[in-house]
Amino acid sequence: MLAMLLVLSLALAACGGGNGNGNGNKESKGSNEAAEGKGAVEPKKLTLWFYFEGKAQFDIVKSLTDGFTAKNPNITVDPVYIPFADFKKRLSVGLTASELPDIVIIDNPDHAAYAAMGLFADITEQLKDWPEKDQFFEGPWKSASYDGKQYGIPLGSNNLALYYNEQMLQDAGVTPPQTWDELKEAAKKLTKDGVKGIGVSAPQNEEGTFQFLPWLLSTGATFDQVSTDGVRAFGLLSDLIKDGSMSKEVINWTQSDVMKQFAAGKLAMMINGPWQIPDIEKSAPDLKYGLALVPKDKQYASVLGGENLGVVNGKNIPEAIEFIKYVASPDVSKDFAQKFGYFPARKDVASDPYWTDNDKLKVFAQNMEYAQPRGPHPKWPEISNAISEALGKVLTLYSEPEAAAKEAQAKIDGVLQK
Amino acid sequence: MSKFKEWRAGYLFALPALAYMLFFVGYPIIDNIRLSLLDVNVMNLVNGDQPFVGFDNYTKLFREGALVKVLQNTLVFTMMCIALQFVVGLAFALLFQLSFRFSQRLRGLVMISWLLPATITAMMFKFMFGSGGIINDVLLRLHLIQAPIEWLVERHTAMFTVILANTWIGIPFNMILLTTALTTIPKDIYESAAIDGANVLQRFFRITLPQLKSAILSLLVLGFIYTFKVFDIVLIITNGGPVNSTQMMSTFAYKLSFDQFQYSQGAAVANVMFLVLLVVGFVYMRLLNREERS
Repeated sequence: MLAMLLVLSLALAACGGGNGNGNGNKESKGSNEAAEGKGAVEPKKLTLWFYFEGKAQFDIVKSLTDGFTAKNPNITVDPVYIPFADFKKRLSVGLTASELPDIVIIDNPDHAAYAAMGLFADITEQLKDWPEKDQFFEGPWKSASYDGKQYGIPLGSNNLALYYNEQMLQDAGVTPPQTWDELKEAAKKLTKDGVKGIGVSAPQNEEGTFQFLPWLLSTGATFDQVSTDGVRAFGLLSDLIKDGSMSKEVINWTQSDVMKQFAAGKLAMMINGPWQIPDIEKSAPDLKYGLALVPKDKQYASVLGGENLGVVNGKNIPEAIEFIKYVASPDVSKDFAQKFGYFPARKDVASDPYWTDNDKLKVFAQNMEYAQPRGPHPKWPEISNAISEALGKVLTLYSEPEAAAKEAQAKIDGVLQK
Repeated sequence: MSKFKEWRAGYLFALPALAYMLFFVGYPIIDNIRLSLLDVNVMNLVNGDQPFVGFDNYTKLFREGALVKVLQNTLVFTMMCIALQFVVGLAFALLFQLSFRFSQRLRGLVMISWLLPATITAMMFKFMFGSGGIINDVLLRLHLIQAPIEWLVERHTAMFTVILANTWIGIPFNMILLTTALTTIPKDIYESAAIDGANVLQRFFRITLPQLKSAILSLLVLGFIYTFKVFDIVLIITNGGPVNSTQMMSTFAYKLSFDQFQYSQGAAVANVMFLVLLVVGFVYMRLLNREERS
């Protein structure tokens, strides 16, 4: 009986999502008809889904849509917040029920999967003559493509770097580590009086994979070839735990949990992205901290994070393309990236002094050269799961690095062969 | 009225409910079974072939060991929760049966854990059992432990924590049902037993428990069904971790469907869950019928 309820509740969630959207459209039609009476051209109403949480974030997104309507009075874009936890579910369910927005701001590793599902429109043709497309960094631009076709435009990027507490490093007499050996040694020295040497968020989901990739890629391994070379990356993180330099709790810490620990002075170093800077400065204004590249094994490496704008396959493709081009234009994207703690996906914007002259941001700017995208692969979520599961096994000291890497590789091979 | 008319009228009355059940319960179940026999994933959800693969999804999940592990976890979780909830619930029911000062009000207080939204309870347990949480703080101050216990990091303690959280929520439900059942036991049985010289323990095991038998049966079966499909508590406290040690049937089905886009595998897990509960449901119906007949 109650399993039926589970099935039912999933089905109902689908209906609920669909209805909400449907009603929104109906209301908008009503108000449009009213406007028509005054002789105005009926504006087209588009919907944008995004998952950035918080009032401030909503307002920033709203400023994009308002700015667009100011330039294109006959098109309005309605931003709708969907919680991240529900986002993928709402999209897949909306896809089968044909209840979808016109534009989606999506986590870049998921872009290929949804393109493969048929959610996004192939806009390769429409972008062919758009001169600005050459301004984008290669990694972000590729993350919005699948099978050689373009399904969107990057909204903004980020990557991961090493944050360190200047005071603590000075007291312990260590310099920011550049290699793994230096890192292990520094982390050990910095661990004392309730302070842990380093924190790397490692939950068993996409966030954990994201944080693990810089280490993995640094060994020369790739996301689809994690065994052999990758074993060293698993080994490094488990050594940090065995040494006591990193808390075992990291498997339950999100990136923002790690940031809070760092801001509270409980971590001497952490791996995190540029979007944490505003929060750190707000919660710990007196904290003196520096930034460096993630310590390397064979080569410097980082992971490319960020979101893309995708155009949903539907009735309003031309208008949606206008919108994403507007958002990606230099002035708009620069302003947006600054407010959002993003790193710009465009080279011309990224060369702005705001990023190149700032001690902290320039590390992320430099890091863009080393940042590699996740995938793009339509089955990225499954690959990612294999990696983060292996990481979890290693960090709880349940598996040896070799065994975990081998197991993950077997799973990834299974996914890729299909 | 003829026999036939009576028969027809009965079905007419049941028709709206039947139609409702068929549409909202029957259809999703059938569709879910269909989905589990196909291979629907990220590539072919909307367009493209959805090949029929028979029981491949089931055999794959069993062969990889994931489903067996998750089934085990869910059974351990369910059994432990039911046992604890029942024992504590019964103890509370008996305690508040002795009408002492404030007994009514205290009983009301116990109900709070049932009234709180499960998500809030789950968040609360997550904070309390964090390594810097209040549980460790208290244990450290009492010198019961030397170093903080990493409740949600070790596999066994993580399972313990989710069991504890779910038990805490389930106690009031058990208590209330047992309290109601206790009030139906005639007082004079106890009086005559007392006159015959039965002591407290004898009265409990010879009168109270046998009289509560049918209530206890319903409670255990309903508790099983309710607990077996646990979702929100586990999702929030551990999200199935560490290393799947608290992964339940429901969270696993959700993860497969909506994290990894393996819709057919997710459906297969949900169907196995359905099957288990169906069996339990039939057992319950049989027990009920036997009770009614005797």
